Amino acid sequence: MEKFLDFIVRAGSLDRRVIFVVIALAVMLPLFFPLGLPIRPTNSSQQVYDVVEELEAGDKALLSFEYGPSTKPEIHPMAVALLRHLLSKDVKVYITCLWPDGQFMALEALEQVADKQYGKVYGEDYVLLGYRPGAEAIIKGLVSNIRKVFTVDSQGDFLDDIPMMAGVNQVKDFDFLFSASAGYPGTVEWVQYAADPVGVTMSTGTTSIQVNEVMPYVQSGQIKGILGGMPGAAEYESLIGQAGIGTSGMDAQSVAHIVIVAFIIFGNISFFIERRRSKKY
Amino acid sequence: MKRQLPIAIAATIGFITLFGWFVEEPTIKSFVDDDATQWFDILASFAMFLGALNLLKMQAMKVIRKQRGWPYAALAIAGFTFSFTAGFIMLGAYSVEITEFSNSASIAPILAGEINQDVLGTQNILSVIPPGDTYTIRAPYFTEGGAESVVEQINAAGGTAEIRAAEWGAHIATRGSLFNWMFRFIFTPLSATMFALLAFFVASASFRAFKIRNFEATLLLISGIIIMLGRVPIGGNISAWFIFYIVVLALAAGVNTWFKNRTYTLIAVVGGLLVVTIAGFITGWPIDQPGIFYLPVLQDWIYNNPNVAGARAIMIGIGLGIFASSIRYILGIEKSYIGE
Repeated sequence: MEKFLDFIVRAGSLDRRVIFVVIALAVMLPLFFPLGLPIRPTNSSQQVYDVVEELEAGDKALLSFEYGPSTKPEIHPMAVALLRHLLSKDVKVYITCLWPDGQFMALEALEQVADKQYGKVYGEDYVLLGYRPGAEAIIKGLVSNIRKVFTVDSQGDFLDDIPMMAGVNQVKDFDFLFSASAGYPGTVEWVQYAADPVGVTMSTGTTSIQVNEVMPYVQSGQIKGILGGMPGAAEYESLIGQAGIGTSGMDAQSVAHIVIVAFIIFGNISFFIERRRSKKY
Repeated sequence: MKRQLPIAIAATIGFITLFGWFVEEPTIKSFVDDDATQWFDILASFAMFLGALNLLKMQAMKVIRKQRGWPYAALAIAGFTFSFTAGFIMLGAYSVEITEFSNSASIAPILAGEINQDVLGTQNILSVIPPGDTYTIRAPYFTEGGAESVVEQINAAGGTAEIRAAEWGAHIATRGSLFNWMFRFIFTPLSATMFALLAFFVASASFRAFKIRNFEATLLLISGIIIMLGRVPIGGNISAWFIFYIVVLALAAGVNTWFKNRTYTLIAVVGGLLVVTIAGFITGWPIDQPGIFYLPVLQDWIYNNPNVAGARAIMIGIGLGIFASSIRYILGIEKSYIGE
């Protein structure tokens, strides 16, 4: 017994490179051999789905991309899933970016969904306005007059020459607002400067760590639902019935979380044995 | 005057902006909503320009003085120079527009190589284009020379083609521009790799630091585990009854610590296990019942109650802090922005 306890204590000071290898395997193996764990949508994801479901063909949705490559695994799957849902319902999609990298993320999502999957026409079904620096000021500018912030879109075409921009002048002209956000400027700023003052229905998708910060706005009803991190994306994919990268990533995340919890429990057992021994002697 | 003028400007603009939220006066509203925000946009653009210059200056000084870590500074300058060149000088993003392709049989093999299609498929693409319309090859041509050679081949095959370049600004978002290539193949993998490393450090740090040292640490540890498991699908597959059994055993451990009596501990363990097992048999062991022991429900409760309470407290604190700072700026008490 004493030998076994010795082993646990020694294992408690495991080299971190061993931990790294275990985590790498825990993430990689489920990607190669999917477990197909069932995904149960949470209320907040269901709320986002219901809001989009209420939109009708021809309604206008403003999407804001505020994330970059570092948070792409969490946010991009939900942005893609939401685009799929909106475009399948023939909702007109307008995209702005408060982060410079957001424009590239939006391009990728549009190419995948609007061009390849649904064959939508640029300028008639969707438009990418692009990136402007200025954070809250840009949101406030869009609330006041879109054309003062964007004279041209990301392709250099004048807004007045784009068919779907006719009659769209302010944020209040949109029926739905969605912020795919990984930080500042992002969801909180959209609520404070656009959705709340104007009264446009807004939903959001954020990184898991941001959910804490945004949750009070969801509870107060200022934001209608939130997609939290990769689980949120996977839940949305299951709701629209199109499994994507969010769903396949959930197996890896599940196993990785189990492994981390196992490490924590193991570390605590070792800690307890050590503490008991130090008290004894 | 050098001190008072900036303070006066800040105070005046601050007051007007503040009133813009409360006063329905068209001129003030128009200033706050349109003019002030546009000023901000212009200033933000210049700030980016100044930031870039500042970055270059700082890194260059490091390299010149051979300070510690200067090779990294040199790498930063090289990266900046490359991005600048890709964004402003070597735009790339050339495409080839075919305006005449009646001789599609001879053009198709050239086009097939450019768009990675078979010759028959390419001929089909060309056959459905109405007369008078054009076809644009959107393969990535980084240089004009690359596009030129394709144009020459098409012209030699009896067609007519022209080179088109993406507009200034739009080239950033166009495949085939050097900047776009740099973003997709250098910046994206590097940035994703840096962030992905976090998972390894989180695991290692949790193993070493997440210890049950006191009540608060225990509370944090338990809620952390519930959130970690409850948020992912595997948490939804852990039966509430399994958690119920763990809770019973934890309570029995508590009884043992408190009374230090083996009989009491045995009663707590056996009694607890019996109660849970009988309850399970009566209800049919539903995976998500009792809800209080089901990880996704517990996770949801933690998110929506203790977490929101804490987040709200922090938000109110930050709001009050912003309010106090703003008042100090408007009244000219806070002068750090003019270097005092």
